[in-house]
Amino acid sequence: MFELLGQGMLAMMAAKYLVPLVIGTLIGVVGGALPGITITMTIIVVLPFTFGLEPLQGLAAMIGVYVGGETGGLITSCLLGIPGKPSAVATMFDGHPMAKKGEPGRALWLGIWASIFGGLLGAIVLVASTGPLAKFALEFGPWEYFSLFVLALSMVAGLVESSLAKGLASGGLGLIITILGADPVMGKERLTMGISALDGGVPFLPVLIGVFAFAQIMGEVERMRPGAAEEKIGAGLRLAVSHARVIGEIFARPFTLLWASFIGLVIGVLPAIGGSAANMLAYDQAKKFSRYPEKFGTGVPEGIIASEASNNANVAGSLVTIMAFGIPGDAVTAVMLGALTIHGIQSGPLFISQNPQLAYGMFAAYIIAHAVVLAILLVGVRWMLRIVTVPKAVLFPVVLVLCVVGAYALGNSMSSVWILAAFGVFGYGMVKLGFPLAPFILGVILGDQIEVNLIRAVMTDPDPWLFLTRPISGLLLAGSVVSFAAAIWQHRRQQRAAQAQDGDADF
Amino acid sequence: MKLTRDGWGGIAVFGFSTVLFGMTFSIPDNPLVPLGPGFYPRIVLALSGALGLWMLAGDLLAKRVAAPAAPGPHLNYWAVVAHFAVFGLYVGALPYLGFRLSTFAYVCAANAMMDPPRGARGWARVLVLGLLTAGLAWFVFEKNLSVLMPRGRWTGF
Repeated sequence: MFELLGQGMLAMMAAKYLVPLVIGTLIGVVGGALPGITITMTIIVVLPFTFGLEPLQGLAAMIGVYVGGETGGLITSCLLGIPGKPSAVATMFDGHPMAKKGEPGRALWLGIWASIFGGLLGAIVLVASTGPLAKFALEFGPWEYFSLFVLALSMVAGLVESSLAKGLASGGLGLIITILGADPVMGKERLTMGISALDGGVPFLPVLIGVFAFAQIMGEVERMRPGAAEEKIGAGLRLAVSHARVIGEIFARPFTLLWASFIGLVIGVLPAIGGSAANMLAYDQAKKFSRYPEKFGTGVPEGIIASEASNNANVAGSLVTIMAFGIPGDAVTAVMLGALTIHGIQSGPLFISQNPQLAYGMFAAYIIAHAVVLAILLVGVRWMLRIVTVPKAVLFPVVLVLCVVGAYALGNSMSSVWILAAFGVFGYGMVKLGFPLAPFILGVILGDQIEVNLIRAVMTDPDPWLFLTRPISGLLLAGSVVSFAAAIWQHRRQQRAAQAQDGDADF
Repeated sequence: MKLTRDGWGGIAVFGFSTVLFGMTFSIPDNPLVPLGPGFYPRIVLALSGALGLWMLAGDLLAKRVAAPAAPGPHLNYWAVVAHFAVFGLYVGALPYLGFRLSTFAYVCAANAMMDPPRGARGWARVLVLGLLTAGLAWFVFEKNLSVLMPRGRWTGF
């Protein structure tokens, strides 16, 4: 393992891989720092650039975007009080008050160093656990895969805060997309409604790009006021700080760092939840375990450390899930999964044993990306503040053009672009009707695999009880039921709390 | 009883699922696969239809407390419709005008809509952004990354 990792690190230091990694990381830091541009959007923009590259070059660039984006989001969170991305919201709670109290450099670098340490702690788990987990997954038959995918979908749908029914319906809509076009077992055409673009099924990348890009950009467009001046920022901030002192502050709080990184990892491993939940949960935990919880929100270091360590460790968790099981941990790894597929690489438990150079190259890219982020921010954190003032009127049309290029380049065909446009409208409509996007995307990604494994299982042995009586499959389905029951319980509790509040208000 | 967006969403999911569910009965069975290509879609559509009904029922049965309308940000849906229309025109024009011309026109139009140009300098900004985006994207993808961009049927360009 260590020999392969060493080889991966050496390979990654070659200019051929290092250059895409550095460029990807730089783009990630900028994309993460830009309010209104998420990491998913940034990686979607980078995707078409990777088509002409070798698989490891492309993946290195994407991993760079992912790691850079998670760290970059804290810049505007701390200095402007505007989170660059959802996973930096909790960083703002204490980072911005600390900056306002005259310590912007301390707030910023506490976040940056906590990101680096959280990410590197995640790297240890990533390298150590992915191989054994993939070996464990090799024991899986179609029954276990079916149950695993059902568990993933039910967990994501159940974690949606607004409405359980909507979360599940959103996942169901994702599954419906996968039943249009050729069936994945025999390739027989079905439910195409005479639309030739659907004959081969709906490719998931244009769907993902369309849904996420338009949902986000149109959400911003509806709030834009033409002619309104955009905020000029970044001038006159003193960001100089003693790095030794900042690192010392972090190491003086080892429990916060370790516990937040652990939370980030676990949430990263769970499919499609992502850093936005990780940073809030880690912040909440840091507050609960603190001796002075009442000071949280006024600029305490623990709040920044917990939030930033968790969202970078979350990246490692997402990579574990995609590399060991072939299930994307979030939308960013879903795009990576698409990039792997484009290069003809099958993700899943055999990924590491069949592509050891690629897998250990990805580990190496993840580790080195943290050093690259640090170097980029040491040199250019002040410039980042200027870059993030790029007007959205310039940014959005360029991003949509790159989305079109990405969709078109998937098969040099306009049908992918039409699918992109159609799902752009669909995604915006979903957001307006209050449907969460994460279960939908997971449904689109897992739909074919759920069907293939269901049919395989029934064709191997028509006894449906095997889904319950095979131990791993039974456990996974039980987990799915528990997750579903917990979600119902939580929603009921929230409803009762809301009703109690209404009752209080009446009196 | 007035429906909220949950109820309308439920109706949409139920309707969509029901229509497709009906269509699954016209999928011919495959003798090689005993379950047939319509088996799994029927499960998915039945479940999603039921979820649509759950959403609708939940909305109809929900106890609503009349709350004073909170002043939210003004949302400009016309801008969204206009941007979708411009993007639709762009996608429609790509096979006819080719990547470079249609991208130039789209970026200029979208930028001008989001930030209306004032005076000659504003228009110069719009044109430069359009030219740079179309030119750079074409150069990077077509020349360096071997991604062949669409050529125009009308322009051959």
